[in-house]
Order: sequence, then structure tokens, then C-alpha cells
Amino acid sequence: MVVSESPSIAVGRSSGASGASSRRPVNIAGRGSDITFIVDENAPMEDVIRELARQLSGRQGALFSEGGVGINTGRRSLTAEEKYVIRRVFEENSGLKVSRFISTIGDYVVESDEYPDDPPLRYPWRFLQRRGTGRGLALDRNLNDLIGGSRRNRTQAMLIRSTFRSGESLHHYGDVVVLGDVNPGSEIKADGDIVVMGKLKGLAHAGASGDNGAAIIALDIASPRIRIGNCESAIQAAGKSQKRRKRGRGAETGQPSIAYTRKGAVYVSPFAGRFARYTKGVLYDG
Amino acid sequence: MMGKTIVITSGKGGVGKTTTTANIGAALAMRDHRVVVIDTDIGLRNLDVIMGLENRIVYDLVNVIEGKCRIRQAMIQDKHGLELYLIPAAQTRDKDSIEPAQLRELCAGLEQEYDYILIDCPAGIERGFRNATAAAQEAIIVTTPEVASVRDADRVVGLLEASDLHRPRLIINRISADMVRRGDMMSQRDVESLLAIEVLGLVPADERTISAANRGVPVVHDARSSAGAAFLRIAARIDGEEVPIQEISPRPGVFNKLRDMMGMKGRAYSHA
Repeated sequence: MVVSESPSIAVGRSSGASGASSRRPVNIAGRGSDITFIVDENAPMEDVIRELARQLSGRQGALFSEGGVGINTGRRSLTAEEKYVIRRVFEENSGLKVSRFISTIGDYVVESDEYPDDPPLRYPWRFLQRRGTGRGLALDRNLNDLIGGSRRNRTQAMLIRSTFRSGESLHHYGDVVVLGDVNPGSEIKADGDIVVMGKLKGLAHAGASGDNGAAIIALDIASPRIRIGNCESAIQAAGKSQKRRKRGRGAETGQPSIAYTRKGAVYVSPFAGRFARYTKGVLYDG
Repeated sequence: MMGKTIVITSGKGGVGKTTTTANIGAALAMRDHRVVVIDTDIGLRNLDVIMGLENRIVYDLVNVIEGKCRIRQAMIQDKHGLELYLIPAAQTRDKDSIEPAQLRELCAGLEQEYDYILIDCPAGIERGFRNATAAAQEAIIVTTPEVASVRDADRVVGLLEASDLHRPRLIINRISADMVRRGDMMSQRDVESLLAIEVLGLVPADERTISAANRGVPVVHDARSSAGAAFLRIAARIDGEEVPIQEISPRPGVFNKLRDMMGMKGRAYSHA
């Protein structure tokens, strides 16, 4: 797995002024030709789309931005479909192009490039890794050579430096690393792997674009249900104590664990390194 | 010194926000502060009942904001003669009658004259929540050691962190030491580890809290109540005093058993 803070994922302290207090679903902020559309994180998505279309068609020609415009969605993180719809709205109602999506996760503002238009390469880094061409920076460099540009982002990790709380949801097109717990009622989808340096208690979906080779690794997997690729599993960890169930908590592994798929089923095992031999004689090789 | 506006919120209803507001308000006033408590649960007001001031309401929060009266006219002084004033919510209106900015302005005015302004937030995360949190500089989250309540608190922490209220503090209310010991209730540590925010205080389950609320006298006035003592310590911590957090555990010892046998009503739990 490639874990790095890439130049295209700009991480900075949140100013808190992410458009939450504005009353209109969409507001425009701009400096020179640098235009950002601020979307109310609480407004229903249909209202946002309608308001965007209305504002864009009302100002046809009045807005101009060579480098493309940004969409700031505050604490809301958009799904691929939502991003697609927004891009289409811009295409149809103006000459503007959406170049970046900005959102706030935890205390941090995350800016990401847009999804590439064509289907991305399918995990070339896995291929590289199997051949033992190295890890870390060396691998990163190979990747840059191989895919370059915005496609590179797909393989890059998003780092969440806080507890991921109930009601928060995230869909990232690379790997996701959380430096804290993932609490019940939250939802993380990653097209790559998910690594949680804490307890995983929320909904996690690794390999969300259909990759059954993805894995979920956490210091404790205590989630009632996890998904990897197309496989879904209710976790049945051994040693589930009566007491814990009484307190309303789900199964807990109580130790660093890895969830992976094998023949369409999800398994959870104590984490013993990436290339270790896990239960039932299966070699997990991602 | 400028006053401070603190919102007391929870997400889930029925965990004791209003009781907590009334008690912290009274406890801060007993520490010789000038305190205003504002009920923002418009349409479902309760704080006046718990403070025993329902008969004295003439004007309410919406009247003040609409300019129908002056702030002083809507402020009802506590019946124990403390420097504690209540601005009641309107019962016949709804949450849409006020805007976040209006409440912020009101509180900014009060901060010039009073030490603490406590806002009793309604349950939920909708308009009422946004109204109440907009005006505050600090937030206190109340939760009970129940899964549903903790989950809602978690959601609220996320929402507060997204706004400008970065470091909310936690009050865990209605902890029953016996149930925790039997494993039937989340312990304070379970709650703390899930929410991962600073704990401001632990309040034991105490029947006296309920009877006091029914009489309209906050339980801090009851010297024998364990919950009342907990609220006094919470007020001290809000005031900046270093008071260690004590775990709530069943009171051991022969004397206690003897007292129970004799039917004397003492403190339910020791945590002093």
C-alpha cells in the first residue's frame, strides 16, 4: 500500500468557514479568476443541483475561470455519482469546468482533483508490489512514471487525523487511513484498502469499486458489518462475551485484525503482516 | 471581565440537558457569579418548570427577539434570590421564530453584563440546534451511559467540531454504579473511549434529582444529594478550578449496609 501525503491532496487546518452558516444552498466566492462554489453541507442534494443550475444559467457568460472552478462541500463528502452530476450541470449550463472538490474532514480541509474522465487503471501498484519492485518512495516513483497525472490519485491514501464520528461519511478513490476510531453510524468507502489505527465500529467498505482484493485492517474490528468489493459479511468473531453483548456492542476481535475475502466470503483474522498465511491456509496477497 | 456563553446540548432527548442547565446555572450563581439561562426549546419549554418559575413568565425569548419587550422584562430572577435569571422559551411558537444570528446578538449583549450565559439546547440537530449553538463559545454535551444516547452525542460532537465549537466537554449523566458493576451499563470509560473528548463531570443516578425537578428546585440546593454535589463540582470545573474527576462506585462498608438495613436514606453512591 502506498501511504503518502501527495501534493494533490492539500491538507490544511480548517477555518471552520466552510459555508455551513450560509442560508442559500449554493454561494459563490471568488478571487480574480479563481472561483469557488460553496455548497451548504446540510442542504438536500436536489436543492443544491437545482440552485447550481439556476445560478449558472442566470449568469451565463458572466463567470469566467480559465483554470476551472472549485466546489467546496464543507463536511459533506460527495459520492462519485454526485460529483458526476455536478460536473454535468456545469457542462450543460455554463462554459465552466469543475477542476477540484474541496471538503472538510475532521479538522482538515481536503482538496482533491476531480475524478479522471476515463476509467482509471486498475491498481497497477498491486501488480508492481507482487513483483517485488520495492516499496514506499521507490514504488511511488514507478507509479508516477507509469500512470502520471490525476490517475495517480487513485492509488494514494487519504489521511484522516481525527476520530471519524457518527453521521460522517466519506468515499475516497484510493486507500483511507484513519488515525483514530471509526465510530458507529459513520461510513467509510474506499476504492482501495482501509486502515484504522483505532477501533473500527462503523460501516467500512474497502474495494468499493468492486475490488475483492482489498482489505480492511484495524487495531480492533468491532463493526457489525463490513464489505469488501462485492462481498458482505456479518462478522462472527470468536470469544464474543456475554457481557459485551449486553452493553450493546457488536463482536470485537480485541486485537489488530485484517478482513479480506476468499472465494466470495469475508474472513477476519489477527493481523500478522501483509503476506502472512491466514486462517484456512490462505495466503493473503492483496 | 467579559461573560461566556455555553450551550448545553446532547442530540438525543431526555438525557437531562434541561436539568443539567438548571443545576449548573444555580451552582455557578451560588459561586457568586451573575448567570443567565436561556431556554431555546421554543414550543416545548421546560426549564421554567424545573426552576419553579413557570408562574412568573410574562415575556419570553421570542418577544425579546421580536422587540416586543426589553431583555430585562423577560428575565425572571431565581426564587432563591441568587443572581440567576431565566429567559424562558415561547410555548406557542416554533423553532423557526428565531434565527441563529439573532440569538448570537442577544448573547453578545448579555455577555457585557453577566459572567455566564447558559443556553439550553433542544433535542435534535435541526433548526433549534443551529440556533442554540450559533451563539455559544463553548459547548457541553450531556449523555447518559446508553448506546443510543452516546451515538447521538458522537454525531453532535462531529457537528460541533465542524462549526466553530472545537473542544466540547462531556457530562455523563445518570450513571448507576450497581448496573455498571453488573455489566449492564456502559461504564464512564466505555463512554469516554468512544467519544474521545474531555470529561467535565460524572453525575450519578439519584432519585432526588427527579423529586427536586418536580418541586421546581434544582437538586444542587439539596445538600444530601449525590447528584447535586456532582453538579457543584462541575460548576467549579467550569469556573476553572482543578477538581479531580471521581469515579462513581457503590459505597462499600459495613456502616453503609447497616444504614441501608435501617432504611435510612443516605447517599446512594460515594464519589466525593
